[in-house]
Parts: sequence; structure tokens; C-alpha cells
Amino acid sequence: MSGDRIRGAFAGLAVGDAVGWPAARHRAALHAPWSRRLHRELDAFAEEHRVTTLPVPFALNQPTAPLAVGPSDDAEWLAWTALTIDRPRAEAFRELPEGIRARISVTTALGNLARGVEPPASGHDNPHHFDDAAAVRAVAFGALGRDPTQDAQVTNAYDGVLGAQAMAAAVAEAVASGSARKAVEAALAVLPRDTAIGHNARLALEVTRRAGDPFAAVPALDAALLDHVYSYGVGAAQTVPVALALAEAAGGELARAVPAAACLAALADSAPALTGALAGACGGYDAIPEGWAVSARTLAGCCLPDLAGRDLIELTVGLSEGIA
Amino acid sequence: MNHRDRARGCLLGLAAGDALGAPAENLPPSEIRRRWGRLTEIEGGGTDDTEYAIFAASLLVRHGHALTSADVAAAYRREIIPRVTGPMRGAGFSELGTVEALRRGLEPPLTGLVHSHGWSDGLAMRAAPYGIFCPGDPAEAARLIEQDGLVSASGEGILGGRAVAGAVAAAMGGAPAQDAVEAALSVIPADSWTSRSIRRARSAVAAAPAGGLEEALHEAAVVHDYPWTDLAPEAVALAMGAVLAGGGDVEASVTFGVSLGRDADTIGAIAGAIAGAMCGEGGVPERWAARIAPATGKCLPVVAGRHVLDIADELADELAGGL
Repeated sequence: MSGDRIRGAFAGLAVGDAVGWPAARHRAALHAPWSRRLHRELDAFAEEHRVTTLPVPFALNQPTAPLAVGPSDDAEWLAWTALTIDRPRAEAFRELPEGIRARISVTTALGNLARGVEPPASGHDNPHHFDDAAAVRAVAFGALGRDPTQDAQVTNAYDGVLGAQAMAAAVAEAVASGSARKAVEAALAVLPRDTAIGHNARLALEVTRRAGDPFAAVPALDAALLDHVYSYGVGAAQTVPVALALAEAAGGELARAVPAAACLAALADSAPALTGALAGACGGYDAIPEGWAVSARTLAGCCLPDLAGRDLIELTVGLSEGIA
Repeated sequence: MNHRDRARGCLLGLAAGDALGAPAENLPPSEIRRRWGRLTEIEGGGTDDTEYAIFAASLLVRHGHALTSADVAAAYRREIIPRVTGPMRGAGFSELGTVEALRRGLEPPLTGLVHSHGWSDGLAMRAAPYGIFCPGDPAEAARLIEQDGLVSASGEGILGGRAVAGAVAAAMGGAPAQDAVEAALSVIPADSWTSRSIRRARSAVAAAPAGGLEEALHEAAVVHDYPWTDLAPEAVALAMGAVLAGGGDVEASVTFGVSLGRDADTIGAIAGAIAGAMCGEGGVPERWAARIAPATGKCLPVVAGRHVLDIADELADELAGGL
């Protein structure tokens, strides 16, 4: 059963990665750069002409396949983590090829490593030390019952590392027991109350429980957790609490939890992915709607080109065999 | 030189650096050279740096060394938030993030932790009054400013404020440039981004590179893969580098500081505050001092009409009264 839940964690993350509106923007990285420049010009056109017809990712003379429903950045970074999980973490990052795409935290950390700033400073001396890049990678560590801290400290610090520890603890518990409630308890146990992520996690659970249902909780989560001030929405102090709260409210049902996460537009890049990982780990791979699992498991290579076409679930076979 | 003279030099230097740097904000050094050669003349008024420093000074005048983060939060709620009815003009992410956290009912230190800009240079830009208030005592200046920082900042943002307050306190006590930077480093952990960044900047200045010190300082302290420039570990290190490069002379330090671009008004304000405290009022070019008018309140309406020299005198009066 735990092998099915490990596959569920990976596939669930990929499904959540695929549902948010940012997925197609990431996947459009496979198009020629001028195509994305045109997108920016259409944004400017809408502004200048005061038209409310907003551009969506489009294919002018470009292949259409990247714009179909499918996984993007988070699924690829999770796959990379699974493939490199036995390597010393700083070394694994140093071995990444040129030309990859990554969050600000990761890109900055790679720059730090290149000039001799080693972990944990590589993740600490970092403007996005608080983001959830490590929390995404922590799904692999949690699925195997391993500590994500060494990995997280390469790219993150403070709430960014706590987010990874919480995700790993929750996924490990979900893989072991299938209980969303126990998974949430395991996460809370590693999140101090006097941190933003610890405060927000308890607040998110409170307002979501009061709303009684994942979708019903969306406005309350928006009001409680999002100040709508900053230009980016991948803070672990927001996305991880949302994932915990929605997975719990859905009783671990991915098809109820993930769509609600995608409704929080500011967090739609990664909160659905983290939510999907938790719910997928609770319910297992076989509980994921087949159409979603099929669409989400083939990686696009939009961030890590070497992974284009790889099957995320096949990557987990070696991992879960040692466990199941 | 007495404390009053240094306090006036400090806040005049801050206001001048703020105003001088404003048009250079976010420009690369090469573009600044192309437009101005060396940017030496103030074109417009000051910005958030000056107005928030005036606000911080008002907290010190009221509460002195007993200032707590609860006092600061109460002042935000009483004097800042009621006047933010539409846009919060001139505010960085950290200021509006803090206001939103306070509106939500949170208290410090969570108000500084829940927004993503804990490392903002917003505390460093208003650190000078804390240094003025603790002449020759960098540790106390750092302790005091942390109370302010706990409301709106966290982590490296608080350290950036501590570092600048410490440097100004040392300068108020007569320390030269090298010693003021050493004082900044003495009040923050060596194992911190701000400390590493300041030390890299200091090494860059000491190396006296032939190919342009602006570029060498960028290499030492600037974060490349990030679009915003208000990072305390970056701005504070660049400002310390400017004070070292200018040997503590106000005009040399400030004009070099703003030539670095990035958060140029804040870099200029910090460099001007430290150098101004070293040199006193007479060290600030008269043509700059003549351009410093009372604050307009365009960022913080509560400080409208206040002049930095009056603020400096009030702080000096407190020091004299406390002796």
C-alpha cells in the first residue's frame, strides 16, 4: 500500500502542478522566445487599448502540445530530486547543466554556490529564502521517510526550510497511515508557533475547519493568509499552510482539495501542487482520476530540459520498491 | 565638535543623500555615468528615507531608551494607518505589508515576520536617529532600533538597521570611517548575510580595483537574479563601501554611493548619515543644505512640515537633558 501512496504523492504533486493557471506559462518556455515576447506585447496592448480581452498562452507557428494540460516546474524539480536523492545535496545542485529554469531562491543559490558561498549560507543569503522550492523537493524526502533539511538549506532558510520539514513530515505520515489529519499533526509538530509559517498553518486550519469544506474555505484563506502586497506568490508561509488545511478539509481526497487550491490565484503556481502531493499520498495513486494521472505524469522539460518526455511515476518505481 | 553639530550633520547628510540619489534609483552605474558623469547636484526633494527617519526620531523623543516594539506598533496604528486611505505613497513592500499585518490585528514580532520583505532596507534607511541617540554606544543604538525593526522587519532587515545605527553611533562618538564600519560589524552576527556582504564590500574597496570600484562593489554585494533592489544586506553593504571609498567625507561618500544605482536614494541616505555624523553640519556642502526643505509628508503625512535640522536639535536636546 505504501508504494501506491508514494506514487500518489508524486502523481498528486504533478496533478496539482498541472491545474494552476501558471502551468501553461511555464510550459510555454518550450516555445521560441519571440513567442513569449509577443505575449508581453499583447499584455501591453490590452493595457493601452483598455480592452478586457486578456492574452492567454498561445501558439503562433509553435507546437501546441506544451499548452495542453500537463505538469510544469514543480513536477520536474521533484523528479530531479528523486533522481539525485542519494547525492550530497550541494553537489547535486552544482551538477545541474546550464540553461535550466528555477525559482528565484534556487537561481540565487546556484549563483552563491558558483562563487563559493556554501550551504547553509547559499540558502540563507538569498532574497527568496522563504519560498517553497525546498518544500516541493521535500515531497521526495518525505515519501522515503528521509530528512529534507540538508537539501532545503542549499536553497532556503527560515520558513523556507521549515516548509520543507513540514511537507516531508506530512507526506511521510500520509504515506504511512493515509490519514490527512495525522499528516497535518505531523507537520504542525515541526512548525513553531512564533514563525510566520507556524502561525499561518494554525490560522489556515482554523478558518478552513470553520468553513467546513475546501472550496467553501477559499475566501477565508485568502482573507486570513494573503496580504496581496508582494509581487510573487510562492512563499512557503502561505502555500504550505494552504496545502495542509485543504488536504485536511478534503479528508485527503485529491479531487476536492486540489481544485480549491487552484482557486487561490496568487498561490496557484505551487499551492495546488503541494496540496496534490499531500492528498495523493493520503489516497494513493489509484485514487487519482485516471485522466489527470495520465495527463500529469509525462514531464515537459520546461525547466530541466533533460527530463523532457520522462515518466514521473516510472522514476518512483525504484524508490518505492525499497519501501513497499 | 559637539553632539548637536554631529546630529545636524547626520540628518542633513541623510536628507541630502536621499534627495541626490532619488533620480539614480535602479539605474546601472554605466547609465548614471552616461547621464550625469558624476551625480553631484540635488534635483528634487527627499523621499521615504527622510520622512521615516523623522518619524523614528519622534518615537525616540517620546520614549527614549524605554522604547518598545509595542510603542512603535501603537504609533503606526495611531499616526500612520489612519492616513493610509488610498495608496500608501512612497511605501515599499515592507511598509504596506506591515500596515496590512497591523490592520489584521497582529502584533510584533509577527507583524515583521508575516510579510515576505523582512530583509527590506526600510529599517536601515531610518536608522540614523537611533545612532544619534546613542553617541559612542553602538550596542545600545542597535538594541534600540531592534525595537522599531520588530514591527516591520525580520532577520537581515533588522540586522541592516542594527548595522547602520551602530555605525552612526560610532560616528557620533568621533569614529573615522574604518572604525564606524567596524562598529556596524560589531553589532551583527559574523554568520549573517549582512556581515558577509559588508566584509566583501570592505575588501572590494581595500583592493582598489583599477577597473571601476562601482562594478567591484556590485560584484561584492548585489543580488543579480532578483528584480527588486531594496535588500538590506545589499544596500547597507554598498553604503558602507561608499563611506569607506569616500573616506568619511560627506560629498565624496554620498556622490559615490548614489553612483552605484540600485536603491540609490537609500544608499545615499545611509552614507550621508554616517559621514554627516563624522563631519558635523559643516561637512555637508552648503549648496546641498540649502536644498533641504521641511518634509512634504508625501510618504508619511504625519511628518509634514518637519525639518531634519529641527529633528536633530530635538534629539540633541534629549541628549543634553540626559547628561
